[in-house]
Amino acid sequence: MRNKKERAISIIVTIIAVALGCLIILPVVYCIFGAFKARVEFGNYPPTFLPESFANLDNFKEALEKTPLLRFMMNSFIVSLMGTVARMAFAVLAAYAFAFFDFRGKTVLFFVILATMMLPGDTLTITNYLTVSRLNLLDTYLGMCITSFVGASQMFMLRQNFKTIPRELRDAAFMDGCGHLRFLWSVVLPIGKPVLMTLSVQSFINLWNAYLWPLLVTNREEMRTVQVGITMLTSVTGTNYHLILAAVTLTLIPSFILFVILRRNIVKGMTAGAIVG
Amino acid sequence: MASSKVSVSQKKSGFKRLEPYLFLAPIILFAVAFVYYPFFKTFLYSFSKVNVSGEITGFAGFENFAYLFGHRNFKKALFNTLKLTVMFVPLNLCFSMGCALLANKKRKLSSVYETMFTLPMAVPMSAVAMIFKILLSPTVGYVNYFLGINLGWFEDRKYAMFGILIVCLWMGMAFDFLLFLSALRGLPESVVEAAQLDGAGFFTRLFKVQIPLVMPTILYVVCTNLVLAMMTSGPVMIITEGGPSRSTTTLIYMMFTSGYQSSDYSLAACISIVTFALTFGMTALAFWFDSKRDDYS
Amino acid sequence: MKKRNLLACILVLAMTAALFAGCGSKEEEKGPEKTDDGKTEESEEAAGPQTIVLWHSMSDDAGKVMDELVKDFNEGVGKEKQITVESVYQGAYADSSKKLRTVLQSKQYDELPDVIQVDATGIVDFQNAEQAYTVDDALKDDKDYDLSQIMSAPLKNWNFNDVQVGMPFPASTTVMYYNKTILDDAKIAEAPTTFAEITDVASKLPEKNADGADLVAYAQIPNTPTLANWIGQIPGKDADASYVVDNMNGRKGTATQLVCDEDGTLATFLTEWKKMYDAGAVANNGSGLSDMFFAGQLVFYTTSTSNLNTLLTTIDGKFELGCTYYPRVNDDANYGATVSGASLCMFKKDDAKAKAAWEFVKYVCSAEAQAKLSMGTGYFAVNTGANDLQEYQAFLEEHPQFKVGIDQLEKTSGDMVGVTVGPSQDFYMAIQDVVTEMLESNMSVDDAVEEMSATLNDLLEQYNRTNN
Repeated sequence: MRNKKERAISIIVTIIAVALGCLIILPVVYCIFGAFKARVEFGNYPPTFLPESFANLDNFKEALEKTPLLRFMMNSFIVSLMGTVARMAFAVLAAYAFAFFDFRGKTVLFFVILATMMLPGDTLTITNYLTVSRLNLLDTYLGMCITSFVGASQMFMLRQNFKTIPRELRDAAFMDGCGHLRFLWSVVLPIGKPVLMTLSVQSFINLWNAYLWPLLVTNREEMRTVQVGITMLTSVTGTNYHLILAAVTLTLIPSFILFVILRRNIVKGMTAGAIVG
Repeated sequence: MASSKVSVSQKKSGFKRLEPYLFLAPIILFAVAFVYYPFFKTFLYSFSKVNVSGEITGFAGFENFAYLFGHRNFKKALFNTLKLTVMFVPLNLCFSMGCALLANKKRKLSSVYETMFTLPMAVPMSAVAMIFKILLSPTVGYVNYFLGINLGWFEDRKYAMFGILIVCLWMGMAFDFLLFLSALRGLPESVVEAAQLDGAGFFTRLFKVQIPLVMPTILYVVCTNLVLAMMTSGPVMIITEGGPSRSTTTLIYMMFTSGYQSSDYSLAACISIVTFALTFGMTALAFWFDSKRDDYS
Repeated sequence: MKKRNLLACILVLAMTAALFAGCGSKEEEKGPEKTDDGKTEESEEAAGPQTIVLWHSMSDDAGKVMDELVKDFNEGVGKEKQITVESVYQGAYADSSKKLRTVLQSKQYDELPDVIQVDATGIVDFQNAEQAYTVDDALKDDKDYDLSQIMSAPLKNWNFNDVQVGMPFPASTTVMYYNKTILDDAKIAEAPTTFAEITDVASKLPEKNADGADLVAYAQIPNTPTLANWIGQIPGKDADASYVVDNMNGRKGTATQLVCDEDGTLATFLTEWKKMYDAGAVANNGSGLSDMFFAGQLVFYTTSTSNLNTLLTTIDGKFELGCTYYPRVNDDANYGATVSGASLCMFKKDDAKAKAAWEFVKYVCSAEAQAKLSMGTGYFAVNTGANDLQEYQAFLEEHPQFKVGIDQLEKTSGDMVGVTVGPSQDFYMAIQDVVTEMLESNMSVDDAVEEMSATLNDLLEQYNRTNN
């Protein structure tokens, strides 16, 4: 009896979840389908969901011909990776300090860091441009990501996560003569791996999305990022959806790959975390 | 135990006392160099007369703020921003939490719908905005045709903010879903099972056991979403440009148009300070509630 | 234990230090490069190969033409005079202006380009720059150039306080495109030329188009440039045109207040506009118009001539594209529309570079280059010499739509100019706000005039308060 009821619930939940999931991914599917549509198909009435043919690769070809999109993607990749690594490293250290140390000014410093995410970036650009220029970092990858090294939101989440690590675990480790960095590296990070991975990907995509700052600090076309590439394809009327969607689809590929890798890691990380905890 | 701890900390050498600060040094260093130092200039601007070339030409006192508060668009922008925040924060919380509860238990197709729920995370904001702009367009969009309605999602001033809300929810839910899922799955089996054996129903279990236990994640989600919503400008800039009739002009977008694009730097500075103060206040409030709860339990 | 902790801190410090070391080493790398530049610059002072930087904002098809022009220059005139142009796409005009503003305000003048393409917003920042090398400056150094080969209307668009600040590149004007197939089906032979005629035509059109979708006759929310056109068409007391703001729409000095509210032209326009709206001939809709036009849901579409190529390729023969003059407020008004587009402006870093920059600007404004630009996009050729080129003549004959803008320009009064105000974005949106309020909340025309004059004057006042 009970088993039957549970199975029924399980099936219903699965159906609801899959239906909801389909609804959620609809925009992405629409984007990918749109990339295969010819320009005129967007003027069709009634509007269509499926392209006339999936063999139509003209849009991708045209997008790649009109802009050095692949080069731009490489730049974005390097910048996003550099930014994410630095951001996560700093955030982990800070979060560890907030979760495991008691020190004077703890609350104040925490809010000082947290508040950085509430200051609109637009108000900071001119001074930051000057700083980056004085450091001779114009037209460099470091200059393109140095302003995003402070990951307040990442630090915050990691702190929340680290705080759930039982104190006994730490005390036991310290009894064994384990130092803070060692404890962080061999105990805290493995437990926090799922969250760390999730935050890394979020941070990577966030940087992948950057448009104005990379445009400001680079002067050479070889240093441009993908978002600039997409605006290069915008026509005066702003209606060449076929090209834009093709370019967007291409730029989604790296983040999708990363995303798939992350997903596996999360599952692994979760079970690992469960065993330790 | 407690007394022994105190005595240990008293014995701490100078270096040991410095240790936490060394952990914090890198992030603080960059925060000061690339956030607080430039923000200081913004702060100065808000109390000064600033010309079109960005040079301070005189002291203005509170004149700029007075002008801002009297500005006919400020109230509208403030109202719009608060409206978006009030809708976005709870909706996103319920939605991402709901999805996480739905997906919590591992089933056959778990990996399929988990992937679907988290996929929006992989799409950058500008792409999301462009896709939705096309998808919801009354002319070339598919949604209106499919639903058989003629709704100006971004063209009608009554609905435009809801259009923006949909975009924000879509962008925001995936990450929060993932956090909730990992928090829920991380709960010790024993606790949840014990509640189940006690004969607690779904809702009792949810409110008495699961929610209190994932409170740290909830606090994080609420705070970051507060900030996100208060600072919304990206989708507005790409999709509606604040219109129609300023129905989607948020504070940050107003800062951009009335401030930077209209070369009024002191106005832009005032808006950013007001937005900061409001956001910071709300976040602090959330923390205060959280600390209350901690004391209680 | 102590040792370990020490190690921890050293690691943290080392990471931070490494980052800055990274900065340092980059500095060193860049160091010698800089001095190299300096040396060569000195030795080249007399004459020698020059490399100049161009920032432009031409995307898609126009971007392709831009690249070709730069290539042609580098391989032709440039090679001869030892000038190489490095062209860089700097994002849309708004982004490029923002970048210019950032460079100027942080006083990093080395980062300035030699030639920059700016629109009506960016020109304000350019004018305020000390390093600006205006066309007038260039003409002083180059007495041989005959500026009269450039059409006067587009030139005047970039003339402020009697200084020719930049050269028009590219130049376009606004015309009215229409779906000729729909008009033919409704047995309407003549395209309308005034608001009243649009209303008349609209009453004869079916409610739905052939696909069964709603058909809209005309759609627009008046904004700064459209208002400048419609107010400008009305003959004034002292000139053949009227103005939105004083000082000749901000041309002869900073605009200080609205004038169209006092001389009655704003009331005339709003009255006619409201009539058209009340008759259901115009929809108060400003976004997605091109989509509606492409989908055959909009009959009349007023937009820049620069869109012509995109219009033709997107329509792709689905319906016949008609093109006529920009509509007039009423029968008393003149034909015409202001020139829009962008201009090429120069910065002077040293004499040799400025000279090279001017060579390039002259080249892209030459008859051949302008003809090429026009045929590839829909912008018109600003060099009158283009009309003598056979290739261009043949092209115009084959595509009569390209000629409408040029003909209209000849009819446009020389007194008509676009609006230049400091708070440009707010000004633009405030006009739309009041018009929308008037139409949708049934406000009277008089109240709308009053509202607009209050709002817009307030904006101008605030701008001048902080800038004078």
